[in-house]
Amino acid sequence: MSGLLDAGKGATVLLMGNEAIARGALEANLSVATTYPGTPASEIGDSLARVAEQAGIYFEYSTNEKVATEVAIGAAASGLRAMVSMKHVGVNVASDPLMTFAYTGTRGGFVLVTADDPSCHSSQNEQDNRFYALFGGYPLFEPSSPQECYDMIKKAFEVSEELGQPVMLRTTTRVAHVRGPVTVGEIAVGPKKKEFVKEPSRFVTVPAVARARHLVLLEQLSKARLLAEGSEFNTVSEVNGGGPRGIITSSAAANYVTDAAKDMGLRLDILKLGFSNPIPEGKVSEFLGAHERIVVVEELEPVLEMQVRSLAQREGVATKVFGKMDGYLPRAYEFDQAIVSQALSRAFQEDLKSPERCELPQDLPTRPPVLCAGCPHSATYYAVNKATNKRALFATDIGCYTLGVAPPYSAADLLVCMGSSVGTAGGLSKVNDLPVIAFIGDSTFFHSGIPGLVNAVHQGHRFLLMILDNRTTAMTGHQPHPGSSRDPCNPAAISVSMEDVVRGCGVKWLKVIDPYDTSAMVEAVKEALEQDSVSVIVARRECALIARRDEKGAIAKKHSVDQEACKKCRTCVTKFQCPAISSIDKVQTIDQALCAGCGVCAQVCPYKAIKEVT
Amino acid sequence: MVDVYMVGVGGQGIITASKIIGDAALLAGEKVVLSETHGMAQRGGSVVCTARIGERSGPLIPDSGADIILSLELLETLRAMCKASKGTVVLSSTEMVVPLSVSTQKMRYPSQQEVVDKMSSVAKDVVMVDAAGLADRAGVPISSNVVMVGALAGSGRAGMDRRFFEDAVRANIPRKVDENLEAFALGFAEGKKVKP
Repeated sequence: MSGLLDAGKGATVLLMGNEAIARGALEANLSVATTYPGTPASEIGDSLARVAEQAGIYFEYSTNEKVATEVAIGAAASGLRAMVSMKHVGVNVASDPLMTFAYTGTRGGFVLVTADDPSCHSSQNEQDNRFYALFGGYPLFEPSSPQECYDMIKKAFEVSEELGQPVMLRTTTRVAHVRGPVTVGEIAVGPKKKEFVKEPSRFVTVPAVARARHLVLLEQLSKARLLAEGSEFNTVSEVNGGGPRGIITSSAAANYVTDAAKDMGLRLDILKLGFSNPIPEGKVSEFLGAHERIVVVEELEPVLEMQVRSLAQREGVATKVFGKMDGYLPRAYEFDQAIVSQALSRAFQEDLKSPERCELPQDLPTRPPVLCAGCPHSATYYAVNKATNKRALFATDIGCYTLGVAPPYSAADLLVCMGSSVGTAGGLSKVNDLPVIAFIGDSTFFHSGIPGLVNAVHQGHRFLLMILDNRTTAMTGHQPHPGSSRDPCNPAAISVSMEDVVRGCGVKWLKVIDPYDTSAMVEAVKEALEQDSVSVIVARRECALIARRDEKGAIAKKHSVDQEACKKCRTCVTKFQCPAISSIDKVQTIDQALCAGCGVCAQVCPYKAIKEVT
Repeated sequence: MVDVYMVGVGGQGIITASKIIGDAALLAGEKVVLSETHGMAQRGGSVVCTARIGERSGPLIPDSGADIILSLELLETLRAMCKASKGTVVLSSTEMVVPLSVSTQKMRYPSQQEVVDKMSSVAKDVVMVDAAGLADRAGVPISSNVVMVGALAGSGRAGMDRRFFEDAVRANIPRKVDENLEAFALGFAEGKKVKP
């Protein structure tokens, strides 16, 4: 399907979970949507960005998740429906406004969409964001399929307005990035304007207001529990006629339960919780009372299980409860049908035909993700290694350039979260004698690198900050950021000057270098490391994927190896990394289809054996 | 129920291939669930997509569970081995994308014959397709993914009529439609080589 708006009422189309959320929101009187991109949530924002103008909503890629949340709060507090979407760790960044927004509550429907990433497919941790729902007091929806994504986002807006509370919808990778049939309705977006009616006794959270509002939050949560009790998303279904065995489950895990129970021929009942916070205690108690054995099947943390066990104790039921707290299911990584089948067979004492063991052939060449052909980061890492002989500590950050951790660059020693390179470099520099270099991408710098830089200037930290400026948010799909020269959603967007920001933070030594000029970069790095204060190099060159897509840049200058001149030293693969260059049996060749024409390898070769193709 | 396990390398168009299969299933009136790889893994890494056609809820295909392994890259075909069983049909492109580990860690890229032998030992049938060559012949060198979808359709193992696949190709690839349908047709003929 070409566009999110194309499908008419009643049509069934194949949508990704993220697209289904976007479509559902567009049918739910959405007025304002914001995001900061992050896998596996990015396509929610990307889908909306493409249709925002046509549909008549306001959409922005905000500078970070906290700001995105605050922009959406501004709209929702005024009375319009607003949605903010982000990956799971984005909620850490946004948690400050979120925790208190639950106190003020909202006038227009407000939905926080967060996508967890069990197994860390594309993330630095696999935290379970359902705890945020419990922590902050957010009614929580957990879809398990694209159709439910669509249905639940619509319901989430209704519940939010009914309670006057912000609501959370949580997906996981296997919901967000799953595609399935979705039957859609009619596009209905909300108004563009709504006047904010002043009400400081609610919206200005000075201590006296906050104290009063906390009680309101608790009262609204008890009403939310009643809604969960009656929710069409909290249902019991029978497999093979049902019986005295039960499963309590939610989200993607519910799918594995259904498939496993069918394939194993088990008779059981499944209580699937789609509206899972506040947990519908009545419904769960009734289910507990009606079954002899219950397995709680949920990915990551035992969020439901803890509540189910506590409820069983409170109600004094003798039902045996199994889950991950007693080791029947793992607490790490995503589930699949085999993991669930095994747990069910143990808990229900059923024999399970164990699958045949399969051994992959030994020593299959690995294929981890790598920096692309022509990637400016690759050139930068080559130059930094050359300038420092790898005698430096590297604080790195989140983006494509994190791949610099792998050989041959090994240019990453410490990474915790978005923007952390700048702060951690300060700490490293205080207690180490080796030079310290921080790497941060342009989007990540605007996201959360700036406070660290201000701190470094103020405290007199001594390190080199390299801003790897490829003019885009590359890793998540080339979304714009405040420094981008164009923003497809906002033609009037102003490009914020990286140099002005850096100087404005008080940095005295700043150079902007093209990474494709490796000798200039080597010299700049050496000079920067001699400075007595924090120094900044902006390594500026457009992402090679964009350059290739737009058919500009250096495409004409494809290179090849002159086999006569090649001394087989393999510097082009041991000190540099490019997917276009292969070295098999000491013969180095450049794949002409992959070559981006950056010419960096020609500068890397000590024997001038890599030449422009004429 | 038909489970299609798709493998390849980031950038080869595997997600588009899976979307074509998914749309074809929808047009044929089947239930379908697909899973995809996005984000960091797409940067030249091993990529897996799945398509489960029929009454399935979970998107992931268990070990030994694939009815069809559809591969866009030779080495990745071998990496998918544990998804095969005696009933599995393997449709693999002969295209090789040599990973950096072969250059830097001196690992060995397997020969085509080794891949065929190993896969044949676990699967029902293995058909190798010169997808890159056929895509080139059709006038769309980048469409080896479409050739392989054609091979899947031609094998008859997806249980869906050709026209649904063709309509799905049109819906998903708006540019060079005729050339892509030709790529599909060339792949379709290759898929016919699967043992009945």
